Amino acid sequence: MSEPEFFSPEWADAVRDALAAGPSAQDRAGKLPMYWDFFEKVRAGYASSWALGCRDLPGGPASLLVQWGGGTVVDCHVTGPGVREEATYVLGMDYAGWQALHDGYDPQRTVMYRKILVEEGNILEFFKGIYFFTECLAVIGKVPAGFRALAVS
Amino acid sequence: MAERKSPTAVLHEGPRALSDQQVREIEGAGLAEVLDVDIDDVIEYVHKDMRSLPDYTTLYRKYLKQRWDVYDLDFSQDKIDWNEKMTEAERNSFLAIASGFHHGERQVEIELPVFMIGAGEEEKLHISAQIEDEARHTVFFDRFYREVVGLQGADIMAILDASFPWVSETFVGPFGLLAYQADEVRRNPYDERARVRYGTTYFLWIEGVLALSVMKVTLSYARWRGFLPAYYTGFTATCRDESRHVQGGMKYLQDAVRKDPSMIKEVHETLRTILTLAGVASREVIYEPLGWTQDEVRMLMFQQLGRKLNDVGISLPPDLQAMVGSVQPVLAGG
Repeated sequence: MSEPEFFSPEWADAVRDALAAGPSAQDRAGKLPMYWDFFEKVRAGYASSWALGCRDLPGGPASLLVQWGGGTVVDCHVTGPGVREEATYVLGMDYAGWQALHDGYDPQRTVMYRKILVEEGNILEFFKGIYFFTECLAVIGKVPAGFRALAVS
Repeated sequence: MAERKSPTAVLHEGPRALSDQQVREIEGAGLAEVLDVDIDDVIEYVHKDMRSLPDYTTLYRKYLKQRWDVYDLDFSQDKIDWNEKMTEAERNSFLAIASGFHHGERQVEIELPVFMIGAGEEEKLHISAQIEDEARHTVFFDRFYREVVGLQGADIMAILDASFPWVSETFVGPFGLLAYQADEVRRNPYDERARVRYGTTYFLWIEGVLALSVMKVTLSYARWRGFLPAYYTGFTATCRDESRHVQGGMKYLQDAVRKDPSMIKEVHETLRTILTLAGVASREVIYEPLGWTQDEVRMLMFQQLGRKLNDVGISLPPDLQAMVGSVQPVLAGG
């Protein structure tokens, strides 16, 4: 079975399932229980949404909307070009950044090097959940995706 | 490095009183003489002018006298100490701490230019000097990792890539926040509230608390054991540079709050986010090989935070005071 195309409805479904499952046992190993306790505490109370944009997606900018609630993902879908999604935090990253994350680039450095940025939303509130966010970014990066299209420069 | 007292002795002695002669020696020491300067005296020197902070032109003039050439350092003895004298446990603990600085220096170097846009003219001189300091500190760590630790890479980023596995997952807390706050300032360079939030993360927390605490751990170890003379020299000179950065940063925050007392809300809200994150650690770091315990490092951080807040005149509401009590040592600085 071939991998779903990046930013396709099938990919969004796979991201939803992966986020609901959370980081694997292998990913959890090596980090202190205190860290994962914090992760679980944030997840349990998280009621915000992320619009994770790809600014230069071939065909036009699009976003992956992830809505959290009750400790899990309650909605995860791709919004097409020209649709501005309402979300607590609107974030943007270039196609190359998404591809690098998919190829294993570190999610911490994806944030620190501003490859992904909060374009709308309260930064101080967003950062109270930053460890949760970076672990979720790592999960998303591991969801198989086809990057067959070339980035629009 | 004749004196070989315990790395944690100053924790129990309390703040030192520096004589005028000691201050002159710290301020006037050339790079070769820095080896003989006690790191505890330099950290005390950082606080010397905190209650009556020097103006930006004075800080800039100090920079002109105190800047040093990172390429003058000779790491050959450090390489011998690292490979032949230090134990594996000491090397592992050292790297767990120093790597946060390797990346921290790079981060504070690149996040500072946007803050200069909305600054006053004299402050711009000070910030431009600080950017050059931070670039030099980045090169210092690049040289240390190449010439002493033995990492290999074609350029600065390749060495950063190679040392990143030693960096804790919680590093993204303060340094990711700084990156996003810098972007906020970039979009609105004259937004004073955004600048105060940025300044709280950069000057108060990263430089005033994290950097000074973590600097002391590796430097007091090197002095105690008589190891790593070029590291001790370069990083103690770095600490002297930080004194100007912390004083300039505290002056900025103090002036901003005096001019508009409602700015204290921005300081508190930023600290609320930082302290939420600072209560979590992702890795266990063994400090004992360097002569420290986790509780002693935590005590050191409390002391640093308390002194900055007291000296600058910033009080904390009860909820933030309670959060300070649960801070975990963060192995990073800049």
